[in-house]
Amino acid sequence: MAAPIRQSLFGVAKGRWRFEGLWAGSLGSRSLALAAAPSISGSPWRLLGAVCLQRPPLVSKPLTPLQEEMAALLQQIEVERSLYSDHELRALDEAQQLAKKKADLYDEEGDEQNVLLTQDMEDAWEQKFLQFKPGARITEADKKNDRTSLHRKLDRNLVLLVKEKLGDQDVWMLPQAEWQPGETLRGTAERTLATLSENNLEAKFLGNAPCGHYKFKFPQAMRTESSLGAKIFFFKALLVTGDFSQPRKKGQRVWVCKEELGDYLRPKYLAQVRRFLLDL
Amino acid sequence: MALAALGVSARALRSRSWLLGTWQTQIRDTHQRASLLSFWELIPMRAEPLRKKKKVDPKKDQAVKDRLKKRIRRLEKASQELIPIEDFITPVRLLDKARQRPPVELPFEESERRALLLKKWSLYKHQEHEKERDAIRTMLKSQQEALQELQLMSPELHAEATKRDLSLFPFEREGPDYTPPVSNYQPPEGRYHDITKVYTQVEFKR
Repeated sequence: MAAPIRQSLFGVAKGRWRFEGLWAGSLGSRSLALAAAPSISGSPWRLLGAVCLQRPPLVSKPLTPLQEEMAALLQQIEVERSLYSDHELRALDEAQQLAKKKADLYDEEGDEQNVLLTQDMEDAWEQKFLQFKPGARITEADKKNDRTSLHRKLDRNLVLLVKEKLGDQDVWMLPQAEWQPGETLRGTAERTLATLSENNLEAKFLGNAPCGHYKFKFPQAMRTESSLGAKIFFFKALLVTGDFSQPRKKGQRVWVCKEELGDYLRPKYLAQVRRFLLDL
Repeated sequence: MALAALGVSARALRSRSWLLGTWQTQIRDTHQRASLLSFWELIPMRAEPLRKKKKVDPKKDQAVKDRLKKRIRRLEKASQELIPIEDFITPVRLLDKARQRPPVELPFEESERRALLLKKWSLYKHQEHEKERDAIRTMLKSQQEALQELQLMSPELHAEATKRDLSLFPFEREGPDYTPPVSNYQPPEGRYHDITKVYTQVEFKR
């Protein structure tokens, strides 16, 4: 008797959910209509899977003054304890010959002009090195502080944040989606990524287990018997290649490093997210 | 006398029969011969005498096999040649005395500066290690809590989350360089000659 009623409720609710749209979310908003039935039968918590997509750094971090001093010291010690290399021996021999020439004051059959001095070789090498133009470590996007571009802060991990509309509020969060029965949570996270990027992004998920979670209860007005709150499970992924195609909706996506997360995320959400993000 | 007569008659008979024999063979295959009177064609004049089967052959073969087996046994007994580690072998040209630098005498301030810097460095590394350790601990704790919540939520999803991900390893990634990659870089032309020495260790297995 109870089972068919529950099933019918489920069906009705699900229909309404589909009508609402992608994520009839319920974070902190009163005016939202009641959303879908709980994903796990019997549990009052709704289940969401989120992906923490990180772009790993392309460039090494600049050294602190102490690190620079230490690096210089180590280099000095290495030179002091080493043997002379071929190049150095050659330089020493030439210096000796030059001194001898000056002391003796007679020409040696004009052989000296054809021989390449070590100084000449070093100059030539220096010139060749200056011809190469390496890529810039601080890019334009850094200077403009354009947070939607991937080419900023090349020495840090960048995390993807999206802005979702929940009721009448715009909330920044990690991309998430509702869990559907029949798939694993990691599958939910992968589906989020696929729908968000329209399959342009290639990411490597780091394992089947979630790295963190965040649970919250809906405000009193929204609670029902079946949905008390929601639990979000985060999955880590590393960006391999690909980028978003031209942003259809500007201001909806942002690549952000750990310090800048505070500008976007809510305090409690932020506290949970910061726990599993490694600070470089 | 009788014996001699017998011998003569026997020889005569034999010769007659022999002649008869050849004559008979002559008649037998006249259809094959080129001309009727070709006699010398019948007798094979260019053939070698038939070789006898050598009885000593199997013995020789056995001796050769034994020698080979002995050689193999000796090689097996000798310890295997190890592949030389080129890093541990100092090249002879570097043992020259002219190569050695004169020993440096550091002034007092320099040695003090170095000692102080090393102390600061060890403190810095200790702090860095602690930070890393704490960060890893929080990450692990966060993961454990998430898994516990999942277990409370649904045991099936928890079981799936704790399964091994076989596609994760081997995990390869290029580390960060000093400068980012240049998009339109043209590498210099030339061929790559690989002169690394490749050693093979031969295993003598029975």
